[in-house]
Amino acid sequence: MDISFVGSSQVNLGRNGDVGFFSFGQNLNAKSRFDVALIYIWMASIMVDGVKLYVGLPLDTVSKMHTMNQERAIAAGLKALKLLGVEGVELPVWWGIAEREVRGKYQWTGYLAVAEMVHKLGLKLHVSLCFHASKQCKIPLPEWVSRIGKEEPGIYFTDRSGQHYKDCLSLAVDDVPVLDGKTPVEVYKDFCESFKSAFSPFMGSTITGISVGLGPDGELRYPSHHHPAKSNGNHGAGEFQCYGKYMLANLKQHAEKHGNPLWGLAGPHDAPGYDQNPISGGFFMEDGGSWKTPYGGFFISWYSSQLISHGHCILSLAASTFKDAPISVSGKVPLVHSWYQTRSHPSELTAGFYNTANRDGYKDIVEIFSNNSCKMILPGMDLSDEHEPLESRSSPESLFAQITSSCLKYGVEVSGQNTAVSGVSRGFEQIKNNLLDKNATVDLFTYQRMGAYFFSPDHFPLFAQLVRSLNQPTQRLDSLPVNHGDTVESLPDSNLHMQTA
Amino acid sequence: MSVVTTDPRFLLLHHHHRRATCFKPVPKLQLVSQRRLPFHLNCRQTPNSRGNVGTRHSCPLNALSSSGSAVVETSESSDVTFRETFRLQRPEKLEGKITIRLDAEKNEEYGQLTVGCNLPGNWVLHWGVNYVGDVGSEWDQPPLDMRPPGSIPIKDYAIETPFGRSPTQSEGEVFYEDEESGNWYQHRGRDFKIPLIDYLQDDGNVVGAKKSLGIWPGALGQMSNVILKSNAADYKEDDIVESNLQKRPLQGFYEEHSVFKEFFTDNVISISVRYCLGRAKNILFIETDLPGDVVIHWGVHKDESKSWEIPPEPYPPETTLFKNKALRTLLQQKDDGCGSWGLFTLDDGFSAFVFVLKLNENTWLNCKGDDFYIPLTSSVVTDNDSGLTHSQDEEQLKDFGPAEKFNDTSDSNQAGPTYADGIINEIRNLVNDISSEKHGKTKSREAQESILHEIEKLAAEAYSIFRSSMPTFTDTNLSEDEDLQPPVKISSGTGSGYEILCQGFNWESHKSGNWYMELNEKASELSSLGFTVIWLPPPTDSVSPEGYMPRDLYNLNSRYGSLDQLKVLVKRLHEVGIRVLGDVVLNHRCAQYKNQNGVWNIFGGRLNWDDRAVVADDPHFQGRGNKSSGDNFHAAPNIDHSQEFVRKDIKEWLCWLREEIGYDGWRLDFVRGFWGGYVKDYLEASEPYFAVGEFWDSLSYTYGEMDHNQDAHRQRIVDWINATNGTAGAFDVTTKGILHSALERCEYWRLSDEKGKPPGVVGWWPSRAVTFIENHDTGSTQGHWRFPGGKEMQGYAYILTHPGTPSVFYDHIFSEYQSQILALISIRKRQKIHCRSTVKIVKAERDVYAAIVDEKLAMKIGPGHLNPQTVHKTGLWPLRAEITSCLNESMPGFKLMLQFIYLSILAVYAEFARPTFVTVLVKLAGNSAPFGTQVVVIEG
Repeated sequence: MDISFVGSSQVNLGRNGDVGFFSFGQNLNAKSRFDVALIYIWMASIMVDGVKLYVGLPLDTVSKMHTMNQERAIAAGLKALKLLGVEGVELPVWWGIAEREVRGKYQWTGYLAVAEMVHKLGLKLHVSLCFHASKQCKIPLPEWVSRIGKEEPGIYFTDRSGQHYKDCLSLAVDDVPVLDGKTPVEVYKDFCESFKSAFSPFMGSTITGISVGLGPDGELRYPSHHHPAKSNGNHGAGEFQCYGKYMLANLKQHAEKHGNPLWGLAGPHDAPGYDQNPISGGFFMEDGGSWKTPYGGFFISWYSSQLISHGHCILSLAASTFKDAPISVSGKVPLVHSWYQTRSHPSELTAGFYNTANRDGYKDIVEIFSNNSCKMILPGMDLSDEHEPLESRSSPESLFAQITSSCLKYGVEVSGQNTAVSGVSRGFEQIKNNLLDKNATVDLFTYQRMGAYFFSPDHFPLFAQLVRSLNQPTQRLDSLPVNHGDTVESLPDSNLHMQTA
Repeated sequence: MSVVTTDPRFLLLHHHHRRATCFKPVPKLQLVSQRRLPFHLNCRQTPNSRGNVGTRHSCPLNALSSSGSAVVETSESSDVTFRETFRLQRPEKLEGKITIRLDAEKNEEYGQLTVGCNLPGNWVLHWGVNYVGDVGSEWDQPPLDMRPPGSIPIKDYAIETPFGRSPTQSEGEVFYEDEESGNWYQHRGRDFKIPLIDYLQDDGNVVGAKKSLGIWPGALGQMSNVILKSNAADYKEDDIVESNLQKRPLQGFYEEHSVFKEFFTDNVISISVRYCLGRAKNILFIETDLPGDVVIHWGVHKDESKSWEIPPEPYPPETTLFKNKALRTLLQQKDDGCGSWGLFTLDDGFSAFVFVLKLNENTWLNCKGDDFYIPLTSSVVTDNDSGLTHSQDEEQLKDFGPAEKFNDTSDSNQAGPTYADGIINEIRNLVNDISSEKHGKTKSREAQESILHEIEKLAAEAYSIFRSSMPTFTDTNLSEDEDLQPPVKISSGTGSGYEILCQGFNWESHKSGNWYMELNEKASELSSLGFTVIWLPPPTDSVSPEGYMPRDLYNLNSRYGSLDQLKVLVKRLHEVGIRVLGDVVLNHRCAQYKNQNGVWNIFGGRLNWDDRAVVADDPHFQGRGNKSSGDNFHAAPNIDHSQEFVRKDIKEWLCWLREEIGYDGWRLDFVRGFWGGYVKDYLEASEPYFAVGEFWDSLSYTYGEMDHNQDAHRQRIVDWINATNGTAGAFDVTTKGILHSALERCEYWRLSDEKGKPPGVVGWWPSRAVTFIENHDTGSTQGHWRFPGGKEMQGYAYILTHPGTPSVFYDHIFSEYQSQILALISIRKRQKIHCRSTVKIVKAERDVYAAIVDEKLAMKIGPGHLNPQTVHKTGLWPLRAEITSCLNESMPGFKLMLQFIYLSILAVYAEFARPTFVTVLVKLAGNSAPFGTQVVVIEG
């Protein structure tokens, strides 16, 4: 054993030995286990220099019965990640699971078990408090909320055709006592308080950060695409979601205050439908579209300000709740990148961001993060312009740059995420470029998300490569073994296929 | 331990580290301290005549191959079947000297100690002192004024140990003085904390010396060991110096220690094998960048044996015979002088080329303790089957040529790194890179391996569990389809090569009148079971309810359901990722009208053919067409496919079925009845994704007992496939027949043909063989040729682990066998067994049959015992005994158990308990399948 090596890592060795590191090396004899530990410590210490890397746990890590799903798989996966040098994991904590049956009755056992496991492995934990539902893994809103929603669908977002988006509550009811006499904000607050006290042993040690759900999929936006287009090749910009009872009432009030009561009766009549090309005519038309008219300005300002005040409300709620805990609080802002290269930015407008060719709509958003000292989570770091379909006039890179430059100005820290487990090697390339960019403000990246595909032979090697490249940006590909190139080259096709499938 | 006593108070310890630049003498450093005698310690390196030996000889590989290109022109039709580059580690020993000189300065207040070394590399002196009176052997830091400039104090866990280190110029200069006594010094390996030898007993002497003259003598002349250890990026060396130190009175002394340094030099040897079809020879090209004369000490393996044999001549030039056991060939020097090469031509029939390298009488190089083993291709062509020869050659060229990935003509899949390989490499790089870059040391190779295994194992475990518990199987299949990117252009004879066929009906299916809808309900289940292709019943209007007596071909309302229901079903099947085969009956067709003689031979519907469409050689139907191109089916008018208009109409009909219904391919009924060339015509017109023909005739029997050799039977099927130009596969009736006898009568020896290949079509033309054990005719309620009862799972264990495209019968899918069939299918998918996978039959005896497929999956059927050790001994299967036994003990008693195995576990031995006695052994090849495989254990 190399002496300098032992010398420098002696202290760590003991500590990590305590966290059960050795316990899984069944087939290793004592000596090699020791070596493993050393290497691991050594690698882990290297990691600190680079970007902190987190990996998302499966969305359904904790079941409705408050047990851990696939516990063995997660345990093994976490160990593998730890060995790779990953800093921590992200755990979605669902409103619909922790407060499932009755308001105010919280059940944290499943999540506590996860935190305990993560803690034992010496990993960090970032918790996402999810006040939304997930269709993907069939996690609904709390049962008692859904019951109320059946009676009073006005608590949901509603589109022009009257369809409700039932995966989160409408921001219009934030301060309306619709939940058995309590307002949603009060309920969220209680949830956060309960979480905080239940997890107090982990706060600041294992749990290093919290993100609070701000809307659909946890993101600060309107569910403008909640009726996803069926046909391929459709690049609609989504619809305004202002047709809920409370939204309309609010709009009406606002219009009257503004002196144009007629403007408050409905949303824009000429806004395109989900499947329509947004800029070919009507509201978002590049030249002469209603978005540039006084009415358009009135409507969009109101629509986006509602989102901003909602964001502010929830962030300050979280910030005040966790202000005495040594953790960071963050919120997620979506990367609504389609139609970015048009003047009207229709997708962003329907999602609630008043960002057009001549107006920076993210300034105000960043400001609420800054005011509440919250970090911003930005997804889409794996997206690059050249791989977006031409017809959608998309530009994830420019949008990303716009938002991060605002963040830089306001001193808001940014954590990155990928959009989906893409596994596309160029997606990894893009992530790497974004993270290693000298001007990047991103110091933490959460890779979404652990699961079968994540650990598959198609994907895991690429991820491992990402981890390495983050630590060793200078490592050149040509120093790798010969067959490495083949492996990488053969992948994009299959993954392309995957994406289209 | 070399110890020079000059001072009982101090013990000077030092040691060298290698550095990149040569040592340059540096002005001495002197420090004065009142009553001390300063010394200079110089480390110096002198050029060494052998200095070059230690440098690496590396030639770019393209330079290596340049000389080879001229040689390989011999084989135009050949293809590279093996290519690999091995790393060679060659121990080198270097002898050098360490010199130690002690000079006294004029005023005798100072002493100067100079240490030199003439070995190339960078040396760092690592030293410390012991103070007089110290008890024990701990090092101390010398006083500050003793340290040459650039010295860095090294802290270590041995706290009392002070280090002075040589400065950046690689000049180990240590200034050391003591007014009263001499010095001790010692060379030591920096990384070896060897306790200092306690020389305090010499105090008396030393003190005496000191007293008298205030100079050095000390206890010089002690026998000493100096251990020098240098750590440079790639070298690990332990140098042991033993020498006698000469005592030099007063003036100091000078002495030399010889140093031996052993280190490893990296070279490579690369081997490529081409198989020349035309000449049936393997051409082996070896090149290496090893300097000097390299002798290849070689032989060949015949068959599966491990013994060295001498191949017949010709041999390459410079070849000698060594004790009748091996050949020795001196490799030819390359033109550019860096390295050498050799070319070996070997006749067909050898399984491997084995060799070791001999550099000189004492230096041999092998491959991690074993002989280098280069598998050779031997032709699978049988001499007497020219038709087959043709087809196979063609297939090899067509299918394997462009896709080196699926280089299954070669015994080794070295050429095709799987994705799975990627993970190992990745992680290995991860660790290696970090280690070499950050630490510049490769000390912990073992540790690296361990961590790699650990990560691989854990990732594999997580993957397996996540996968197995994925709620929606459709997703699994989708992602699996990704894995299975077709290696070659999809051919209608094979589909993607990874197809698993389901026969989606039985003889009774027409009875409900609603079969399409019933099947519709089962679509996602079938998909989740892993089927990629389904064969639906004949869809047309038919005289018999089962559909095999078609009448109006364009009327698709049948007893199975309506046209619209059929469309719904096909759409649904496509949604769940299953391709659909239509059962098309082209051999015969029932007439709707009688001719003037009252014979039924005038057709109705859209294809209103008359008796010209009927073959002439069946008197029952008075056809006016040509004679049949095949056997006749006597229950209905046989269609005369030689008629242009008939073929045109059939092509149109098939294309209509493709478009209107969405069929992806065909199951062709009774293709014995007409020439395969017409089938080729039809398939080229309708461009199916997959097509399989039913060519069913009788096997050969002698006195009621099935012949062992069924070559004639399978040849007829192969001939038909050949006639279709390989555009269609065919049901492997031969295999079914042989399985009947083998399983029913416990004659497992039948499962190997005389050449050690599978005895059915699958042994000759695996990619076109659609293996099955039962269908609607042989089994179901007809039972014309029923598979031996109770042996079905053995049958499926055979076809689902072997090459070919396996087909599973509907009745078996929805039976108590389902879970076992599912297990076998998932193993097939996990191990990526495909229609061209290679089979090595390990055992085919009375009561046991065992084979290894693609070197990654092993199977065994039959009641007899198969000792995994035996398999292991064949060398095909690196199996670890302890794992085997442990699993054997733990297996029984589980109803259904999923066991995940990983790279570090090379094989798992699990048993399907009664009544089937199927054993599935799964091997994880060392470097081709790092991911675990499920082994399903089912207690019967």
